[in-house]
Amino acid sequence: MKRVAITGLGVITPLGNSVEAFIGGLERGENASVYMPEWKKYKGLRCLVGAPACLENEKLIPRQNRRSMGRLSIFAVQAAQQALKDANISKDTLSNGRLGCVIGSTMGSAESIAEAFETLLPENDLSKLTSTKFFQCVSHTAALNVGQFLGITGTVMATNAACASALQAIGAGYDLIRLGQQDVMLCGGAEGLHPTVVGSFDVLFATSTRFNQTPKETPRPFDAKRDGLVCGEGSGIVVLEDYDLAKKRKAKIYAEIIGFNSFGNGSHVSESNREAITSCVNETLKRAKLCPQDIDYINAHATATIQGDKEEASAIRGIFGATVPVSSLKGNIGHTLGASGAIELIASLIMMKKSIIYPTLNLKEPDKDCQGINHVMHPVAKEINILLKNCFAFGGINASLVCKKED
Amino acid sequence: MTEHEVIKLTNEVFIDSFEIESSKLLPEANIFNDLGLDSLDVVDLVVALQKKFAVTIRDDERVRNIRTLGDLQQFILIIKKEIGK
Repeated sequence: MKRVAITGLGVITPLGNSVEAFIGGLERGENASVYMPEWKKYKGLRCLVGAPACLENEKLIPRQNRRSMGRLSIFAVQAAQQALKDANISKDTLSNGRLGCVIGSTMGSAESIAEAFETLLPENDLSKLTSTKFFQCVSHTAALNVGQFLGITGTVMATNAACASALQAIGAGYDLIRLGQQDVMLCGGAEGLHPTVVGSFDVLFATSTRFNQTPKETPRPFDAKRDGLVCGEGSGIVVLEDYDLAKKRKAKIYAEIIGFNSFGNGSHVSESNREAITSCVNETLKRAKLCPQDIDYINAHATATIQGDKEEASAIRGIFGATVPVSSLKGNIGHTLGASGAIELIASLIMMKKSIIYPTLNLKEPDKDCQGINHVMHPVAKEINILLKNCFAFGGINASLVCKKED
Repeated sequence: MTEHEVIKLTNEVFIDSFEIESSKLLPEANIFNDLGLDSLDVVDLVVALQKKFAVTIRDDERVRNIRTLGDLQQFILIIKKEIGK
């Protein structure tokens, strides 16, 4: 098996549209949650807080590429451009058949899907639909648009596993390179914020509803006063590369991926459970040939739901005890869903580079059922040689990834 | 609807939907070669024109013969006259 390096990073996030802006926001302890008064028109929607990203510079994408892109695909293209630039990948590599992309999202562009139905349904009239709406709505919209825009002729694939989409995409790219089928992979996820997406969590009582007037106080991962998630949006894309080829061209290497796994829980579509999380993490450690004590930092999924945080904390407690530092970035950027695995992995890689751990924002008092793990509540200086990133999705799909710092 | 109004509204479609500069919107401009539209754009052009002029042209065979912006403007004029009769 070939080794796999991470050589480029790109993000669009609620805290800014570059890795520098994003990290700056984390360092300043900013929370991107804002009150969304325009959502009040949706009857029954209790959560009126979101973490929007700024859609900008979209017209730099030529119209004939942009016409098939909804909001999330534009984010994905912009993050991919950043990652390619960061990795210093040449333009001719894009179409040599040895570079591919795997990019996931929960669904196609929610905004475009809503527009399509708003156009179609009032008079059941298909003739009013534009030709490219379909390409904005399909579940592989981010992957197809990045592939088309960049002229990628290698593998183009989408992973659609809700909040585990991005991590599964990185896992799939890791496997393609390990098997020698591709040399370079653009991998990650993207998501667009839309009230219909928030609504899908709201009907399950999984959203934050008590902080509509004080949005900076939510979400609150692991905290005793947590009351649910806040939806965010954006994209995170990493460049994965055959480790030997990256070394040969003297590329900057952020880390090496040394383990990945994604398991289903086989028990419930929306309730995560500690046994399934434990099984997923343990298998990841096994594949990476690591013991729990080898992990220096855990970037948690922790979205601030009552059930999810409790089960994740319980699983971490069972495997790692209270030794390994744990933090969640959802308090800063909300839950960016299909993008979260990549955006938060990118932040974790920067933490690894800077030997610092950013804390869980809004975690003031760890809830009783989330105690017994090493919560990071203030920035901590620490050498991180090996990190673990977790993502747990609706549908009972869990994923974990382990990265090792380049020597 | 006058010819001037048809030209103005047709050009608005090209500016708003296809981001084409008004200086390029000459009657002799070929919709494909000069204005850069492709097969997908033609679908969207029909959708936009139907909305703009409140007409139904999606299944009109005459659409297939249109090559230039001038052809299109004359076609719309004819359609509007047919509706008026």
